[in-house]
Amino acid sequence: MKWGMVIDIKKCMRCHGCVAACRVEHFLPLHITWVKLIAYETEDGGVLDVTTYPVRCNQCKEAPCVDVCPTSASYQRADGIVAIEANKCIGCRYCVIACPYQNRTFLRKSSDPGYFPGYPQTGYEIKGKKLYPHQRGTTTKCNFCAEKIDYGLANGLTPGIDRDATPACVNTCQARALTFGDLDDPNSNVSRLIIQRHGKQLQSGLGTDPSVYYVDGKHGGNDNRAPEHAMTGSHIQHLSSVEARAKELFPWLKRDNE
Amino acid sequence: MQARRQWITPHEWMIKPTQQTEWIEGQGVLIWMAEVFSALGMGLYLVAIYLDNWWGALAAWFIIIFLKLPFHFFYLGRPWRFWRAIPPFTDAWKTSWIARGMFFTTVFAGLAMIQLITTYMLNHNMVSEAMVGPVTVLDYAMRFLAGLFALLTGIYCGFVMSYCKAVPFWNTGLLPIVFVFMGIADGLALILAVGLVTGGVDFHAIEYASQWVLLFNVVLIGTYLINASYTSATAEYSVMQLIRGKVARAFWIGVILLGILVPLVVSLLSIFVLPFMPLLLIFAVISHTIGAFSLKYCVLKVGIYRPIISRVPVH
Repeated sequence: MKWGMVIDIKKCMRCHGCVAACRVEHFLPLHITWVKLIAYETEDGGVLDVTTYPVRCNQCKEAPCVDVCPTSASYQRADGIVAIEANKCIGCRYCVIACPYQNRTFLRKSSDPGYFPGYPQTGYEIKGKKLYPHQRGTTTKCNFCAEKIDYGLANGLTPGIDRDATPACVNTCQARALTFGDLDDPNSNVSRLIIQRHGKQLQSGLGTDPSVYYVDGKHGGNDNRAPEHAMTGSHIQHLSSVEARAKELFPWLKRDNE
Repeated sequence: MQARRQWITPHEWMIKPTQQTEWIEGQGVLIWMAEVFSALGMGLYLVAIYLDNWWGALAAWFIIIFLKLPFHFFYLGRPWRFWRAIPPFTDAWKTSWIARGMFFTTVFAGLAMIQLITTYMLNHNMVSEAMVGPVTVLDYAMRFLAGLFALLTGIYCGFVMSYCKAVPFWNTGLLPIVFVFMGIADGLALILAVGLVTGGVDFHAIEYASQWVLLFNVVLIGTYLINASYTSATAEYSVMQLIRGKVARAFWIGVILLGILVPLVVSLLSIFVLPFMPLLLIFAVISHTIGAFSLKYCVLKVGIYRPIISRVPVH
């Protein structure tokens, strides 16, 4: 059994739901985000576009972060998930350096000022710190919601099918761009998607063999555009360097500038 | 630079070549310092035991114990757990160069201390006649072993970086060799400083050796840069940053001018033209040491990740 994820870039409508769900699920400190959306701008004959890649820890089969960890705080579970035993982490950040995807974050004091800096912790925060005691001075990253998977399996549920055993980001994705399942099972939803739609791994040349696959027609480029109705305010940020296109999409920008 | 709030990381982060920051910016400056003192300590110790200079070996031991290790220690997010990285408390030495380095440094510290004691006792006739033979054998054994572990302490820093496939500029077997030979050049410069204070150093011989090591380093660095520029587009981008980009000033002034050319010219002048001039030697030592700091700064600063989407051009 080896857990994996398939991300359909065409379906992703950049709603940031996965980012928010992950933060809520794990009570992440204010300045820490395990799931990120990165923006890739392309220009093809004057037509500009942004493709958004949801990225997170790739749970690599040959994980460099596990190899370089001097204390074995980073380890690989039997189901392929790369986990961190925070009590063993010394905070050397070698794993942060070695990760080709830069999906590990060192939890600094400044990254955890509380949800409302300068104010007492809310009940939600206090409860969260008990459930997920993220340790300052150690490294954190996405764990595929391993606790949900373990709970689900112990209760006869199937990760990727049953919501209670499925990562929070997958559950919350309203466009169903994320699919989770067992990569070792050739009939699983993820295996079928990878085969049928030619799933690609990021940086496959490095030999890390990620468990996160991407499917789309083409990485980047204008045949990979999200529908315009799905374009959100976050596009303003990305299209800032693409003024004409930004003005076309967001007429109020033009008014403001003038 | 990575956005502080990472809801969506805009435009450049990992889409274009992205610079590593953990080991050079903010608290990462401590890693830079530790790396420099690893090279200085290793180089000085090797040169000192070769030249049988007790004060030089002592200075090297101090550099490793009281400068390199504390910088590493204070960099850690959880410093008091440092022991977890030292074998036998971890079995990660099988794959982790930091665990190996911790082992090398710890063993070096012990062996070099024994060597310093035995050499001191022999030099000051503190050993009875019957024990001179065994202590001399022990002294030579310790010199060999401590020298070996000093070399490993200096070279592992290079392997720590060269292991990172994600940073193509570092990902070459040449990096540890560059660090070792630059470290030996640093050692030759520092032994001059030791000699100026304690005496007992053949300045002419050291200057002679220094010029050859420096010339070799010029070839080595040139080879490294040419090799990197053919390795991948990202490594070439790193080279461009080094020779023309944001780090160019530190590279040309720090590494090339102060770290290599000035000490080389001073060596040549000392050998062929000028009489012994302590002030000139002090200038060369300071210049070379600035070069040592600049080299590690430049290498850490141009540690650039290859973009995660391969179609993206780097320029």
